Amino acid sequence: MKIELGHGDGEWLLWSASDVEDDRPARSRMAVRRGLPEEVHERFVHDGPDRQVTLAPVLGDRPVVARPRQPVYLLSKQEVTFYLSTPIWLKILVGSSQLMLRELASIRLSDTWFGPSTRVGELCYANRTHARRNLAEVPLRPHRAITPLRIRNNAQEALPLEKISLPVPMLPLFGAEDGSLWTQRATLVRDEVSDLASVRIEASKDHLDPYGRPLTRIAAPRHENPMAVVRAFSTFFQGF
Amino acid sequence: MLEQLQTLISLEGAVRWGRALFLVVLGLLLALMTSRLLQRVMRRRMTAHVAQIVRRLVFYSVLGVFIAAAMSELGFSLTVIMGAAGILTVAIGFASQTTASNLISGLFLIGEHSFEVGDLIRVGDLTGEVLSIDALSVKLKTFDNLFVRIPNETLIKSQVTTLTRYPIRRIDLALGVAYKEDIEHVREILARVADANPLCLDEPAPQFIFTGFGDSSLNIQFSVWVVRENFLELRNAISAEIKKAFDESGIEIPFPHRTLYAGEATRPFPVMLVEDAPSRDQSGPDSNSQDGC
Repeated sequence: MKIELGHGDGEWLLWSASDVEDDRPARSRMAVRRGLPEEVHERFVHDGPDRQVTLAPVLGDRPVVARPRQPVYLLSKQEVTFYLSTPIWLKILVGSSQLMLRELASIRLSDTWFGPSTRVGELCYANRTHARRNLAEVPLRPHRAITPLRIRNNAQEALPLEKISLPVPMLPLFGAEDGSLWTQRATLVRDEVSDLASVRIEASKDHLDPYGRPLTRIAAPRHENPMAVVRAFSTFFQGF
Repeated sequence: MLEQLQTLISLEGAVRWGRALFLVVLGLLLALMTSRLLQRVMRRRMTAHVAQIVRRLVFYSVLGVFIAAAMSELGFSLTVIMGAAGILTVAIGFASQTTASNLISGLFLIGEHSFEVGDLIRVGDLTGEVLSIDALSVKLKTFDNLFVRIPNETLIKSQVTTLTRYPIRRIDLALGVAYKEDIEHVREILARVADANPLCLDEPAPQFIFTGFGDSSLNIQFSVWVVRENFLELRNAISAEIKKAFDESGIEIPFPHRTLYAGEATRPFPVMLVEDAPSRDQSGPDSNSQDGC
């Protein structure tokens, strides 16, 4: 994504464009120069002299449904941890009082429907995932936050993982020293007899990434309702 | 003495009328206040449609109680009034069958919950947003900003499509490609176009349906799903994107073709490929004579 933000006489001028994600390694660049953007999409007028700008990363505003590129099955009585990454959004805040100009998605994911039928369900974003299990293989990209998701299959049958819905609006965002972004861990258990999944969100105060490095909390969840987390997670196995 | 009694009676009558009037005015005020208060409280908790029904119900109930009290104050017996109202209703019912039919249809419409205030419905050729569902009619606002009143009886009898009932909708695109095209290749291109547009839902997946061998083209139905708010935007965008993708891949969207066939018994039409016709100056006298034939 590209953002150009200019500060004119009592106004902020914003130009933004989103890119299509490819396999090239992503990097973030920032430059400050004199003058205003050549093209402007939006103008935000104000009456103060404040020129402070803050770019705050947050997680997406809808759950993200991750689909493995190949069918993945979790065998009976097994437990694995997948590392799922989701694109972050950037909040553009200005002034000392942190007034929000706009919230932009780093990558505009495709819309998708997650539910048992076309009548009942939830609007989500669709995301393809490699469903990586090896942490060393997980690329650390500046525009994606990684969620460690532990899944345990207590049932007698193998569990096909066709779609995994991550309720990212209910997860807080953390940052590591190397710039990588992480969300809270989630553990999901499929019961022996039922298709419902019980969920545990790891709420330890000393947040560490899977490497054991300390993490800093960057953004609070968009929705703080803990019941909502359970509800959203209970739909994990829908569509499997 | 008699005069004094008459004065007292007339005074008492005036007081009764005054009380009755006061009761009606009080009832009106209370009904208005209660219904408005309820509307404020319910605005966030209920849909506009339910809120409207509850508001009206409360308004008329409160007003009805106070009017009944006022009538009672005037010396009317409620039993007699109810009886009279019953007879009057039957009489009015016979006299105004259409109105009564609309009224009953309105009750069924409200009970059925087929649509609510704010929904987008299609009745026959008419599409519009429901402004209100009243006792006798439903009011719509069409896209070209016209106010349309449809009698409830008509709605009960006709097919009504609620466009905003479910959160997602399907767009069916009817396409035709030339007979020379590879259908599998066309399918891949359409899938790529749908995949590239973020408004097009990933799930339910786009559907590719081969609908038949047409007169001039291979007919295809390509169906994509979209959130209902983005319906128009995607329908316009994806049509343009499909055309562009077909053009880039050299896939022909054919015009209607017509081949003339003269049958087996007759000789085929002589067809000549006409290249650059020789100018008249270069043509010889023979050709001139042939022209004249």
